[in-house]
Amino acid sequence: MEGKSYQRVPRVKIREMRDDYMKFELRDTDASVANALRRVMIAEVPTVAIDLVEIEINSSVLNDEFIAHRLGLIPLTSDRAMSMRFSRDCDACDGDGQCEFCSVEFHLRAKCHSDQTLDVTSKDLLSSDHTVVPVDFSDSAGMESSEQKGIIIVKLRRGQELRLRAIARKGIGKDHAKWSPAATVTFMYEPDIRINEELMDMLTLDEKKAWVESSPTKVFDFDPKTEKVVVVDPEAYTYDDEVIKKAEAMGKPGLVDIIAKEDSFIFTVESTGAVKASQLLLNAIEVLKQKLDAVRLSEDTVEADDQFGELGAHMRGG
Amino acid sequence: MDSLLYLLVYPQRPLLTTKTIELVGYDKLGAGQNATVAVMSYSGYDIEDAIVMNKASLDRGFGRCIHMKRYCAVNQKYDNNTQDRILRPNRDGTDSGPMRVLDDDGLAAPGEIIRRNDILINKQVPVVTRGQFKSALNDSEFKSVPQRYDGPQGESCVVDKVALCSDKHNNLCFKFLIRHTRRPEVGDKFSSRHGQKGVCGTIVQQEDFPFSERGICPDLIMNPHGFPSRMTVGKMIELLGGKAGVSCGRFHYGSAFGEPGGHADKVEAISETLVRMGFSYDGKDFIYSGITGCPLQAYIFMGPIYYQKLKHMVLDKMHARGSGPRVSLTRQPTEGKARNGGLRVGEMERDCLIAYGASMLLYERLMISSDPFEVQVCRVCGLLGYYNHKLKTGICSSCKNGDNISTMKLPYACKLLIQELQSMNIVPRLKLAEA
Repeated sequence: MEGKSYQRVPRVKIREMRDDYMKFELRDTDASVANALRRVMIAEVPTVAIDLVEIEINSSVLNDEFIAHRLGLIPLTSDRAMSMRFSRDCDACDGDGQCEFCSVEFHLRAKCHSDQTLDVTSKDLLSSDHTVVPVDFSDSAGMESSEQKGIIIVKLRRGQELRLRAIARKGIGKDHAKWSPAATVTFMYEPDIRINEELMDMLTLDEKKAWVESSPTKVFDFDPKTEKVVVVDPEAYTYDDEVIKKAEAMGKPGLVDIIAKEDSFIFTVESTGAVKASQLLLNAIEVLKQKLDAVRLSEDTVEADDQFGELGAHMRGG
Repeated sequence: MDSLLYLLVYPQRPLLTTKTIELVGYDKLGAGQNATVAVMSYSGYDIEDAIVMNKASLDRGFGRCIHMKRYCAVNQKYDNNTQDRILRPNRDGTDSGPMRVLDDDGLAAPGEIIRRNDILINKQVPVVTRGQFKSALNDSEFKSVPQRYDGPQGESCVVDKVALCSDKHNNLCFKFLIRHTRRPEVGDKFSSRHGQKGVCGTIVQQEDFPFSERGICPDLIMNPHGFPSRMTVGKMIELLGGKAGVSCGRFHYGSAFGEPGGHADKVEAISETLVRMGFSYDGKDFIYSGITGCPLQAYIFMGPIYYQKLKHMVLDKMHARGSGPRVSLTRQPTEGKARNGGLRVGEMERDCLIAYGASMLLYERLMISSDPFEVQVCRVCGLLGYYNHKLKTGICSSCKNGDNISTMKLPYACKLLIQELQSMNIVPRLKLAEA
């Protein structure tokens, strides 16, 4: 069937990029693609998180499962996660999830000997693998505190002790939020704001100022020199319609025309620290590709099973 | 005494309080969590006050609670100078499975994971507890009465504490505190502080949840139909005040009326704060659907509301039964979860079945599955007879013969009624027709 090709080549422009934060534009594509990307970033990019805890000694005030839950939620650096195996389909250890290909072992030993309370933090977790360690927030935040503190797990009083062995495994955010590498992933449609200059010129100075003030976010500004209203930050607009309502109240409907561009999105990605925000995006695209391949090949089920294993079965609703 | 204790795993201080709450110190009790609530309809699993919860929030500890229950056992002393005894568990006997949580002293050990029907205490009671004084008893004079843990099926609980004490009769008393950490599940009950209670209707993945362009994703979704008839304006003010509170970093007061000179934050002031922090003055946000990525049609009233987990949890109420115990008087199935009772097909359910014409189903539910009973009825006098096993015939005791006896089935409760009426000098007679 010959026909017009609807293929588009989305463009990405990175605006701001830090280890744990990224802002980028995604253009020439649909909400479905943008949302798929968002969903995959939240729920399907694999990371490593503590999944099994064996407690040897716990005389702290928190009970075992409480501590286990807290341990699970500690983000671990997971750059290796994409290439790691899920413990459930690891051949090396028959799925008991205790081999080097699918798991990382942690040890924690802490005992308080002084009268001061001892903070047991993620820094006390000793990893068997230097590539998978609790995320270090101290330098990325840029704060130069004298003590580099990790995430507090529990506080110990004199004589209390915590000793445990933990096994971290690969997983995805769909199974448990602890495996989600994303703190926030969100996007907005890029607004296209056009001020009707003719109508605007009919407003008095005070009216212009009042109109600018009516937006809860600073989208417009009044330039005192040219006595004109200018759009300073269109992306600050939250589609709240306040300025449109204000214009109508002033008897000037159509003063401003705001439409959401349906093919460009502004993404904000914040990472938990498990992977860098930029890597998170790349991993998400990779996962998305795998999923699409699985759909494409789903007719040939046997082949798909060989090639995509779990994912192939998952895509067919298995 | 209370045998139950519920603890919240991550309690929070409410973002919005009143002066009264502070005076009473109620804000220091930590009875709930500040949940980001979106007031909107979602999926239809939120009808009739049900709430939709975010799975990621639950994973991160929202609504998680510790349920502690105390179990008691007494080492009873008896009149004949005998007393119960606690035995060291037999580790390779028939009961070694349920006895695995026991320590060498015959009591469940703290820290052990305990499941339903595991033995808490390996107790034995003397067979003879009355009469003349006895000194040393041998093993055959004891019978084993282990106390079993009757917690929820399929859940693993933990023995938190074991305490020994003496009760008011100076008997040795054992107390076991069993701990169970629960995450919210469908059917658990939650409430805001305005009496707006509701059960969790469904749990939805975070990526399916609506989100704002700031990245705010609600913890739970509440249906707006809860508002008009209840008129809980306070809840809306709490949402506004809470939203202003989190965005500007100051705890707000939501005292009633907000009279001049009072300390309450008035809605106007709150709205100003909201606008200053870049929100809409009315607390509504522009929200995208998490499923499609498209903006929602309406602005959504969204912000933090203090939510409390109520103690009514499905795990404690969930119950089903196939066959099981019956009441000896009526021979009908017992009632209630504690007695492993059946679920009653009541009057209204019965009416439905009649209206539908499902006679066989009705017969099965009301008779076969309940209290069927075979009786001998005399076709002459219409009274109930009996079955003589020697002669292998039914005999009517009032006609004194077995000539006109029919065998039929009726509910035991019906036979009971007939006999009770007879005892009150009323004679119900059955007239039989060919079926």
